[in-house]
Amino acid sequence: MKLRPGTVIQGIEETLRDRIAPLLADQPFAANDLRMALSLLAIVRLGRDDEVSLKVEENRRLREIFTEAAGSVGDPGLAGRLREAGASSDPGLGIGELDAETGRLRKLLVELHDLVDRRDDEQAKDISQSIWRALRDIEMPRAARA
Amino acid sequence: MPEPSQDPAEERVADYLAHRMPEAQGMTVSALSRIPGGASQETYRFHARWQEDGKTREKDLILRRAPEMSLVNPEHGMEFAVYSALWGSGVPVPRALYGELDPAWLERPFFIMEMVEGRPALIYGTDDPFDGAGNAVGNNFWRNLGRLAAQDAAILKDAKLRGDDVRAHFWDVELTHWEAILDSDEDLIEPIVRGAIRWLRAYPPPDPARPAIVHGDYRVGNFLFQSDGTITAQLDWEMCHIGDPLEDIAWAIDPMWSMEKHFLLEEGLALWEEASGLALDREALDWWRLFSTVKASALWTTSERSFEDGHNREMVLALTAFRAGHFHRRLILDLMKQRGAMG
Repeated sequence: MKLRPGTVIQGIEETLRDRIAPLLADQPFAANDLRMALSLLAIVRLGRDDEVSLKVEENRRLREIFTEAAGSVGDPGLAGRLREAGASSDPGLGIGELDAETGRLRKLLVELHDLVDRRDDEQAKDISQSIWRALRDIEMPRAARA
Repeated sequence: MPEPSQDPAEERVADYLAHRMPEAQGMTVSALSRIPGGASQETYRFHARWQEDGKTREKDLILRRAPEMSLVNPEHGMEFAVYSALWGSGVPVPRALYGELDPAWLERPFFIMEMVEGRPALIYGTDDPFDGAGNAVGNNFWRNLGRLAAQDAAILKDAKLRGDDVRAHFWDVELTHWEAILDSDEDLIEPIVRGAIRWLRAYPPPDPARPAIVHGDYRVGNFLFQSDGTITAQLDWEMCHIGDPLEDIAWAIDPMWSMEKHFLLEEGLALWEEASGLALDREALDWWRLFSTVKASALWTTSERSFEDGHNREMVLALTAFRAGHFHRRLILDLMKQRGAMG
């Protein structure tokens, strides 16, 4: 049997809730802090399992948008950067590495979205709507599960 | 000289009060304790006792101290100035007594005000935060907001609030303000929030009939009420500014803390119109509802930043960063879908 970090966090939650919280009955400010700390521990515990996969999926989806939009943006410089980003891959699976890559891709997405929102043609409208739908799909699984 | 207190912190507060109240003798402070509520200032209650004119006087007081960094970082002294200006205006606020910017007393700026009867409503963990008095509370909630909108914004001219030198396009002042906060504090840009900002800039609302005092955080949880539904004090004015009164209405009905759950919105809006003397522009209110989600997102970003940087390790900041950030991005998605953004 292997002791998993999630189980350790759960054990900490149980100790704080069952042994420490009753000692704070006459200290409302500290008791309130402890309640919030317990909620945070649960969020961290439940969120750690799919943290990497959510980031990987977001990056994949953003690259897909860039590849699809590259031929429609008009601006050759931006089109080149979209193609390059669309063909890129995550540098690793560390949270820091993935966050840095997500940051790079999101900035490009905001630039693309801004550009198509300034245009008044159907193709631009389609890209803008496609970006909003992708943002919805990316955001929904990000809810804290506790 | 004040009589020595048991607790060094109580002694320091007593020293300060003795300094501000030269007529008081034998000042003592007791029962100094931090109380929950408000992520932007540290709030403490305490009991002061002194001799004056041969009589013993005592009072329950509240001390609000600036944190090092927080959800909101107002100009120090601003909230004290707002409380002072609104005292007696018809908008219920605690009586502010002393404002102090000199860090020599308690390390950071603070102010002291009278404690007011009543309790705050809990936003979470209960279906009835008003213990059956929701109708009366809702009635007073909307009337008070209308009264605030009816105030002459010039009464706060000395408070140097954001927007006090502006006569039009308050929407732009506010949107630019919160966008700048996102630019400064956002580690990982949120394209959903940036998309909402673009829409807001593309479809601005009309200017208000007149500049209004905007509370900035007018919502359930930021006032004290009594069992008969009387609202005894509107609190947490750190985000007060001069602007469009619709901003407060939109913030008050944000689904995260909406009064709409406890009081029919249409009745509330009618009460606001009656008390303010203003006609409500529904289309403009829709603009401000989307704006509220951007403002909220900026607040959660600042809380995330201050916790991550270690400037402020209050649990509530991390909790709002985790929960409220997603809540408002999801709300933006809903509102943008209603505007046809997703086809």
